Amino acid sequence: MTDPRTLRGPLTGLRILELADQTGQFCGKLLGDLGADVVKIEPLGGEPNRHVGPFLDDVPHAERSLSFWYYNTSKRGITLNLETADGRELFRRLAATADVILETYRPDFLVSLGLDYESLRKQNSRLIMCSLTPFGQTGPWRDYASSDLLHMAAGGAMASCGYDEADVPNAPPIAPGGGNAWHTGCHFAYMAIMAGLVYRTVSGRGQYIDASIHDACALTTEAAVANYIYRGEVLRRQTGRHHAAAPTPRTQFRAKDGTYVCALVAGRLNPRYVKELADLLDSYGMAGDLTDPKYQDPAVIAANTSHIIDDLVAKFIASLPAEDVYHAAQKRGFTWAAVRAPEALLDDAHLHDRGFWKKVEHPELGRSFVYPGEAAIYNGSPWRISRRAPLIGEHNTEIFCGELGLSRSELCVLAENRVI
Amino acid sequence: MQESDVVSRPQALDNIRVVDFSWVRAGPWATRWLGALGAEVIKIEWPENERGRLPSTTTPQNLEVNLNTSGNFNDTNVNKKSLGLNVRSARGLEIVRRLIAVSDIVIENFSSRVLQEWGLGYQELCKIKPDIVYVSMSGYGHTGRHHHYTTFGPVAQAASGLTYLSGLPDKPPAGWGWSYMDDTGGMYGAMCALTGLYHRNMTGQGQQIDLSQMVSSVPLNGPVLLDFTVNARGSRRAGYPPGNRAHWPGTPLVNNYRGPTVAPHNAYRTHPGEYNDWCAIVCYSDEEWQRLVQVMGAPLWAASPKFTTVIGRLRYQDELDDKIEAWSMTLGKYELTERCQAAGVRALPVQSAEDRVEHDPQLRHREMYLAMEHPALGLHKVQNAPFRLSETPASNHLPSPLIGQHTREIVEGLLGYSHEELRAGFADGTFWPTARPRFPYMEEMLL
Repeated sequence: MTDPRTLRGPLTGLRILELADQTGQFCGKLLGDLGADVVKIEPLGGEPNRHVGPFLDDVPHAERSLSFWYYNTSKRGITLNLETADGRELFRRLAATADVILETYRPDFLVSLGLDYESLRKQNSRLIMCSLTPFGQTGPWRDYASSDLLHMAAGGAMASCGYDEADVPNAPPIAPGGGNAWHTGCHFAYMAIMAGLVYRTVSGRGQYIDASIHDACALTTEAAVANYIYRGEVLRRQTGRHHAAAPTPRTQFRAKDGTYVCALVAGRLNPRYVKELADLLDSYGMAGDLTDPKYQDPAVIAANTSHIIDDLVAKFIASLPAEDVYHAAQKRGFTWAAVRAPEALLDDAHLHDRGFWKKVEHPELGRSFVYPGEAAIYNGSPWRISRRAPLIGEHNTEIFCGELGLSRSELCVLAENRVI
Repeated sequence: MQESDVVSRPQALDNIRVVDFSWVRAGPWATRWLGALGAEVIKIEWPENERGRLPSTTTPQNLEVNLNTSGNFNDTNVNKKSLGLNVRSARGLEIVRRLIAVSDIVIENFSSRVLQEWGLGYQELCKIKPDIVYVSMSGYGHTGRHHHYTTFGPVAQAASGLTYLSGLPDKPPAGWGWSYMDDTGGMYGAMCALTGLYHRNMTGQGQQIDLSQMVSSVPLNGPVLLDFTVNARGSRRAGYPPGNRAHWPGTPLVNNYRGPTVAPHNAYRTHPGEYNDWCAIVCYSDEEWQRLVQVMGAPLWAASPKFTTVIGRLRYQDELDDKIEAWSMTLGKYELTERCQAAGVRALPVQSAEDRVEHDPQLRHREMYLAMEHPALGLHKVQNAPFRLSETPASNHLPSPLIGQHTREIVEGLLGYSHEELRAGFADGTFWPTARPRFPYMEEMLL
């Protein structure tokens, strides 16, 4: 058996040039953490996302943005001003040996610089270029400005998320946080890039990819589109559970510690489930009348759905901390979970078993920090964070001199002329 | 029905075959994209323990609910073929092993030990096909003490912290109104399969990729987690989550992990004030704010010193939002969007599924919903890929399969069994339960 420490990531050997802002940087991370050599090309002074908080110790600085840190692991960083002739020339030289270019500029920007796909592929027919933009390269909204919130609105997420009237009267539709419009665009862009790479292993040819964040978000609402297309239904928002054409029983219950439990009970209440539920509740002395044999009759269950859910299950969960309910229920086969704040995951034993948390060195600070790890364990080609996010222009010398063969004095001239 | 003739151009995954054991939503959503990219996806199905076709809440009102009439199943399973097969029988297992031997990818989203119990664990798969790419998409993964825990989207979202990131401060979590992690978990399934395939093509080596729906949710909380591991600041704090805002007034001024801290940054009611009449508006700079002021007709209130600075707009955000909404209520959400965007102001409507399918001019231009004929459901729009590959475009070229529709094609055509063996397999319950009525297309395949 091969020593897993000697295995390399599945994308080892690939060179990616990333010209991405907050919308596309996660795609570069996905590629880099799986072994690709991602060279992040930033404008002079650094990518604007370096100024998005939170910051290390709340001290704002371009090298202290935790958002930038997270989304730019496993990349090397150079600065390059593409609006200079020297900058464009250096970029062409990098593109000549690149496998993939990932860019998030507004449509036509690279065309205006003569750095569009058709120009670049002349010197590298194996090149794959992915333009990931809010709306794609064509269409009436092509040049619209956007944000994460705006994509969650237009893509359909907000129309599905919100509150029961009883919980928050007159509530707005809610956009879940965390930047998931960007994540969704990046997931599809990654898929398209990998498809292009697989095809290239067979054909030897590259291609151009036009990826749209709006299209990606609009695709990511499960059955909402099918509900409309096949039944003409427009769904209503409900607290902590699925949108629905007609109200459904709640699935989110307050636990003893004030946090919540997601307990999927409604729609599953057959005699066997009720028996198992009664056993679970009874082991805490909370079964009430649920152990009564009458509950083996589906008609009796149906007539008592609200009693079972809103009374017995709710009281059971209210009697215990959310984590206790979660594990007790899962151990008995119930698909339930505690509604955890993300930081609670640092204490999750299962994640520790999977080696999920990674210590990442920040040598310039003399410190290391814990980062989240991989979505999946590749048993033949492991995921890893190869380095912390690059400092501004950190690899200028390494790449411009070491790889492109510029002299140190030429590098100085380029810096003086605001090229790098 | 044979493959349609739409596929004349090469596709990225031509000549790639996927054995798809997946069910419900996340797994089928993964293989849907492999199919759209050109792979031959063979869905292994058994009506006695089928989950995905039934129960159906998306069957058109004029059709009977049965195994072939779920609208959501159709959208989730285009570009696939269906092989009816009882894998729990010795004969079925032998046939599936023969299929795996001529395939590239095996993908499933069962609980963590199911495939192993069938005798199809990764080690066994390697004996059948040494370079197989095996993607397992279980709730908690195959590794780790809670591997036997189970998920649906909402449970993975709750356990991973995603649910908590959605809502208003001091209210219960609003969470996600759908299984975001079935969609996104499916994406990761496809991403893992493609990555494993690329690696195989480059090295000749297959592997198992142990994907977990719950674990794959956690990296989506990156900056929140770093704020905790680096700054020791948790997200259970006053003012978090701040609804649609970048910051909740009157609470500590801390970044909310969605982007810069600015105001306005909210959803506003629009005319005529129906359920989905809302528009999101965001101004990332003073300049963008001044453009919005002009779009609103330069009202006097907007000239107040309270609103000329970002600190002021954040401090007086309640008042700011009330004033903006008084204006936004005078316009329809599409008209408001057009006016704002024409002036360089970030604004987009809240769109229901109906809005996206019927009213969104961009999605129409991008041909995101094209009609496709399905033998039981008829002609309906199907969702398309959000990316365009110039040489190998993704396409929806097959409607979702009827259950067991391609059994003969696969068993005889691909695997080389005789027609007599097919008939024997129907007679002994290998390809369809003997006690269950057969669909007419099954009778035809037995002629």
